[in-house]
Amino acid sequence: MAGPPTDKVNRAFPLDNFAINNTIPRSTSQHHTIRVDSEERPLPTDIIPLNKPNRTTKFAIMASRKPPTTSRPGGVIAAPTTTSSGLPTLSSDDMCPICKTIRYLNRDMEFLINPECYHSMCSACVNRLFNDGPNQCPYAGCHRTLRRKGFRSAFFGDLSVEREVDIRRRVAQVFNQVEDDFQTLRDYNNYLQMVEDLTFDLVNGDEATKRKAEGELQAWEAEHKTEIERNRRAGKEQDEQSRRRLAAEREAARQRRLDAIKEAEEEKLEKIKIKEMEIDSLERGGPLPDQQRVQLKRRGNKAVEAAANLATAASTTTATAAGDGVGKLSIRGLKEKKKEPRPEGPYDPFGGLDLQPSRYKIHAGLKHPNVDKYRGDQAHVTGGYSFEEYTSRAMFEAFAGLGVFIEDEKEVGIGLVASEVVGMGAAMAAVGGDAGNRMDLD
Amino acid sequence: MAVSPLVAPPSSLTSPLKRQPSQQTSSNGTPNFGTAPLSAAKAILGHPQETSTSSSTPPSLTLDPIEQMNELEKRKYVKGRKLGEGTYANVYLGHSRSDPSALVAIKKIKVQAQYNDGLAPDAVRELKHLQELRGHPNIIQLYSVFSSKDQNLNLVLEYLPLGDLEMLIKDVDRVRYGAGDIKAWMGMLTRAVWFCHENYVLHRDIKPNNLLIAADGEVKLADFGLARGFSDPGWRMTATVITRWYRPPELLFGARHYSGAVDIWSVGMVFAELIIRTAYLPGNTEVEQIALICKQIGTPTEDNWPGVTQLTQYTVPSEITPVWGKEAYMGRFGAVGSEGVDLLVKTLALDPKKRITAREMLEHKWWRTEPKPTRKEDLPRKSGGGGEEKMGADLKRRNGVLEEDRGSKVARKLDFGAMK
Repeated sequence: MAGPPTDKVNRAFPLDNFAINNTIPRSTSQHHTIRVDSEERPLPTDIIPLNKPNRTTKFAIMASRKPPTTSRPGGVIAAPTTTSSGLPTLSSDDMCPICKTIRYLNRDMEFLINPECYHSMCSACVNRLFNDGPNQCPYAGCHRTLRRKGFRSAFFGDLSVEREVDIRRRVAQVFNQVEDDFQTLRDYNNYLQMVEDLTFDLVNGDEATKRKAEGELQAWEAEHKTEIERNRRAGKEQDEQSRRRLAAEREAARQRRLDAIKEAEEEKLEKIKIKEMEIDSLERGGPLPDQQRVQLKRRGNKAVEAAANLATAASTTTATAAGDGVGKLSIRGLKEKKKEPRPEGPYDPFGGLDLQPSRYKIHAGLKHPNVDKYRGDQAHVTGGYSFEEYTSRAMFEAFAGLGVFIEDEKEVGIGLVASEVVGMGAAMAAVGGDAGNRMDLD
Repeated sequence: MAVSPLVAPPSSLTSPLKRQPSQQTSSNGTPNFGTAPLSAAKAILGHPQETSTSSSTPPSLTLDPIEQMNELEKRKYVKGRKLGEGTYANVYLGHSRSDPSALVAIKKIKVQAQYNDGLAPDAVRELKHLQELRGHPNIIQLYSVFSSKDQNLNLVLEYLPLGDLEMLIKDVDRVRYGAGDIKAWMGMLTRAVWFCHENYVLHRDIKPNNLLIAADGEVKLADFGLARGFSDPGWRMTATVITRWYRPPELLFGARHYSGAVDIWSVGMVFAELIIRTAYLPGNTEVEQIALICKQIGTPTEDNWPGVTQLTQYTVPSEITPVWGKEAYMGRFGAVGSEGVDLLVKTLALDPKKRITAREMLEHKWWRTEPKPTRKEDLPRKSGGGGEEKMGADLKRRNGVLEEDRGSKVARKLDFGAMK
């Protein structure tokens, strides 16, 4: 595999996400105590392809977050192993661990891996083994079922890097908050730390940690589906925006170049013209002052025009720059508070109240002689007296006391302590006769 | 008068029942009850000199239980500076003794000479209906009632510092509002009226003056001095209620048996006033008011209102104007949209039986059309204060009276501040 362009590699690393002034607290020392003693698949993180020096710097950063690589004194370049334990390094001249074909025999040999287990094999083997549907990984001890569709050629020579990048990509898709979503930088850094811890567990953890981290990741994904989707779309939009802006800038630059060329040409033509005219006038004997003035005037006009054009061009470019800069210009520390857009329901004209009687139903045409004798009364009819309102009130009053319990009333009374009310009640009873008389007077 | 079906909390029952000076009551054969309540009363009263609201006469040891409760209630509030003074009532700013940040307005109703054998009927009405209608966000809250010296009745009311709707309507230069704001205000007003009617109370004095605005922008219906319960069939009610400009035709014609429809007419008038920002039918006399109704809305006849000619004070101008259709209103009131005008026309039906009810108003389509009602926090409010004074002025006023009545006779105070 040829060395990939560096910018591609850079983008694949979510490590770049860390804010510049981010200081990662080294509190997660337990990660660094994890030893990857040749378990099922110890990770040959120490295997750094020397033939790709442009990447090693990046990898060094990553490696610093991994278990100490010196724990395996296994030399710098490990020969590709075909044992079940360990991911082999792809190199251009190795042989397929399955069919043992070597590149010498097959110049177009291509190695494919499946992100299920990252065991590499040549494309011929993949076609042979998986053309008829899912099959087990041919590596001894690896019992994963692989599908033809899952195979792809590895981007990195080091398959552990390939795997880590895949995991990081996946985690970054789920945890796609941006700094603007956080109130303080500290919150954001804590979030990044949390994500990094999880990623580390997924990449370098033992089976149990990995499973746990995987569970957490899936839970988060399920729980925050909509949010993730929204962030994803926002990120896409931003990418689109910056892409558009770049395109616009390029287009503007092209236009400027064209304009400059055109202008230069026009100037040249003008010069030639003037020269010809001068020659003509000289031929005709002596320059004509009028014509000369016209010439000068025209030139002056041109200059003014050009200046004006330049000014408008400048203003438009600054305007576009200002317009584009809206998303870009951000001041750290001026985080707008995350406000929850309160979902405003439809306007309820009744203000959420329902005053329909709940204890009884009013039937139309209730009859009572004392009421009915007024039904035909002209004064009642013309004045707008409503007999329905009367019936409804009569029913309400008849039922009104039924929902009242003295025990409850005591509590909501005048805010006195219950014992006080009892005391008052006793005192009231003492003067009961008096009060009763007065009540009658009302 | 209809008997209130709700069980009244004892606090507010005490005051209206008291009809005689307290000294008399307690010496008037009040049995000398046991020592327990007495000692309790002493403990509660403590040092009466501390309280600004407490009476100058130190409470005698023979305080009867009703007076004890009154003292207790009185001690809960501290009366502050005066917000307004009138012939009928004074309004004070006050706060709760336990929480000085909880502001209240204390409306102290003066003893009126003409009602020397008891409380003024409007005070009783206000008290009775406010305590029945407790708990609705669009009706002024009555916290407590107590009597102070000289048998003055004190109503502890919700403090509404942002003035009233009239203030906003009239300040054409500085206050601007739109259809969404009108819808929000009308919604709150209609809910208040609907709540009154659902509880069988007629307000009978709805006008922008009586729609006070709370600190959060909520409009609250206040001034229940003319309110009454729905009457029984055969019972006559007075026809001289509701401030003239907002009075419906059936009352102008002297109908004595009416219903909630009278309030709805007033709501319609307020609605119109909110849109055109000036009183819709400002009649100077009752005859002129009838003439204005006939001209602007249509002449009530036997055709559009069967039996109207039989009403005792039925007099209409000889020139008969047909009832205007919705289209005629669109020009002047079109700002609230076609649905809004439709609602307005329905509230201004001449025949009270054909007039829309409060419940039907709330079911109208207008509330669901664009623009949405403004959130109460975003409603326009008058800058530069003046709301407190306005509340004081609104609460001290006599009910059912236009302030302009006085202005026609007395020279207005010159306001040099406004001429800058």
